[in-house]
Amino acid sequence: MKDSAIQKITEDLLPQKFGKQGKIWVAFLSVLCIIGFIAYCRQLSKGLVVTGMRDYVSWGIYISNFVFFVAISLVGSLITAVLRLTNAEWSTPLTRIAEIIAVSAITFASLIIIVDMGRPDRFYNLFIHGRLQSPIIWDVIVITTYFFISLLLLYFPLLPDLQILLRFKERTNKRLYWLYGFLGSFWKDTPQQIKISRRAVNILSITIIPVAFSIHTVTSWLFATTYRPGWDSTNFGAYFISGAFLVGAGAVIVAMYVFRSHYNLERYITYSHFDKMGKILVMLALLYLYFNVNEFLVPAFKMKKSEEDHLMGLFTGEFAPVFWFAICTAMIIPILILVNRKGRRPLPAFIAGLLVVVGSWFKRYLIVTPTLLHPFLPMHDVPESYKHYFPTWEEWAIAIGSLAGAMLIITIFARIFPIIPIHETITETEQHEKE
Amino acid sequence: MKKNSYKSILIALLLLGMMATAAIAQDGDKKDLMLSASYFNSNNQTQYLVAHTKCKIDGKFLPIPAIEVSFYITNDSAESHLLGKAVTNDKGEAPLMIPASAQSEWVKSVKQTFVVVSKATKVFDQTKASTDVVKAKLKIDTTADKKINVMVLELKDTGWTPVKGVDLKVAIKRMGGDLNVGETQTYTTDSTGSISADFKRDSLPGDLNGNLTLIAKVEDNDTYGNLTVEELVPWGAKMEYVSKFDRRTLFARRGHSPIWLELLAYSIIGVVWIILVYLVGQIRKIKTLGME
Repeated sequence: MKDSAIQKITEDLLPQKFGKQGKIWVAFLSVLCIIGFIAYCRQLSKGLVVTGMRDYVSWGIYISNFVFFVAISLVGSLITAVLRLTNAEWSTPLTRIAEIIAVSAITFASLIIIVDMGRPDRFYNLFIHGRLQSPIIWDVIVITTYFFISLLLLYFPLLPDLQILLRFKERTNKRLYWLYGFLGSFWKDTPQQIKISRRAVNILSITIIPVAFSIHTVTSWLFATTYRPGWDSTNFGAYFISGAFLVGAGAVIVAMYVFRSHYNLERYITYSHFDKMGKILVMLALLYLYFNVNEFLVPAFKMKKSEEDHLMGLFTGEFAPVFWFAICTAMIIPILILVNRKGRRPLPAFIAGLLVVVGSWFKRYLIVTPTLLHPFLPMHDVPESYKHYFPTWEEWAIAIGSLAGAMLIITIFARIFPIIPIHETITETEQHEKE
Repeated sequence: MKKNSYKSILIALLLLGMMATAAIAQDGDKKDLMLSASYFNSNNQTQYLVAHTKCKIDGKFLPIPAIEVSFYITNDSAESHLLGKAVTNDKGEAPLMIPASAQSEWVKSVKQTFVVVSKATKVFDQTKASTDVVKAKLKIDTTADKKINVMVLELKDTGWTPVKGVDLKVAIKRMGGDLNVGETQTYTTDSTGSISADFKRDSLPGDLNGNLTLIAKVEDNDTYGNLTVEELVPWGAKMEYVSKFDRRTLFARRGHSPIWLELLAYSIIGVVWIILVYLVGQIRKIKTLGME
């Protein structure tokens, strides 16, 4: 491979300084984060009474957001591990996008759980008094493990790129240069180092799959092990995992489109990538639709008296607009868009991905809240307001702030590190040329 | 002229008809309340009355709650005969203990009349009902060989006299209801006013000392009302409380999870984290190789 071609790939994929749009985007996300932080400070000083959560709905949009973050983080295992292990080389430019989405999502999944606690200063009690029998403890363990694996999976393939970045001292500010040096100055691209790194990535790719399945299965068990209408289901683990892969794949398509158009990466993230990811998304949407049919059709067919209010609330009642919106935007419309070849072009695929992400957020809201409003044993003599739930501005601000925070991490990461692996791209191009 | 007078008569008749219809309709708005009273003598100690209200709605007899009922002894002609007032609950029942202040009226006769009067509401008119009872009591005796003798006694001028031909039940009090002591559902008193029953419920769980509560009862008797008597007998199996607090179960406290769960969970965590520690070691190895 010619040096000029290598030079071209390197130049194209080096992290770029924020332009005007980038600065506005970062400022916008920062403002959302600050508003969220202010709202959280209010919640800390006044307590959870500033939220709309009461005795009925004790898990509101914070937990919906948590489930959403955990779901979206699964994309790391899908793109990096599943596609890598199946030798789908076309996925190489997407691996780092997927991994940083996973890391940022899992970071905010952990934070939002603390936000949901009325007394975060008592967080340590979870470790002191936690019971191994509780799915909450399993969730804490598995989230920590998944976060660590995702970090390693992000770090190992980054090592050769850090060496490349260190070559461009003149284009890097001091602090960034120090960071690159700290993280990867020891990488000399020796055969031994490459061998160790490849083996480590393979081990991680195998390890992350069961851990990823565990993380979302355990999250689903937080609900399914509780005897309530809508949660009392043996289908929940598979239902959650299929939904998680769907939203994760949708998020990757959105990120692919944004990075491609913003950093002019058309040569690296091609129509073919959108086509393939579009097909994957259709398959995942159909799978999730299948689980949804199972999840709702069977209880609706039986229509047990104790579950009737909950189900009818979703189908035709107060939650019906959100329910049908989520079903249409997260599954039906994306399938209709992406099932056509033209629909798998970048822009329509981006729109489909965006619909999946938005619809999936509302789907998580519907999993958490309506069930809590319809307990098997209703409470007596509670104020009427307890029987309804609408998040307060503090909850919205914190939830939106956390989403903005996750996007800010991805944005800053793309500013500091190459969002498409440079070294792997060069190596694969060389291999293709040899073939 | 003749034609006009016919018209006037016709209009007058129509108006009259309309007024009559309206009057009937107003009367028709009120429903018939069915009121009744029952007398209870519990364990020869506590006497109380229960008023029952119901009404036929859509072809079904339904209990009527929130009806205020006044209870009188002997008759309702004097305010001094008022025993008290109560309001019916969701089951259409309003209980009232007979107060000690009614004693002077109570001791006047061996028979007693109680009157209940419901207060008029928008839906129901004032309604009155009464019940007559002859004062009676139950006496229960048990033997060591688990035989139960119950006697029904009626108060006569000469004193307590056994009564023949009264139906009664003998049972054991349980949490969800009463359990008959044997196969026989109902016993009828003989010429001595007694019945005899055998206890055939061996190994029935009792309290910590193995005690069971026997109950004999006369229910809805036209003459005597409802009578009960109870006795504690040591015929049950002793209940032994076994604490499950320290057992290893899924619902136990911290540190008491089942062994299989601990083995499974710690093995998985151990294997995964050993791999991760190994990989961190590999980073160190890569670093060492780069420094050479």
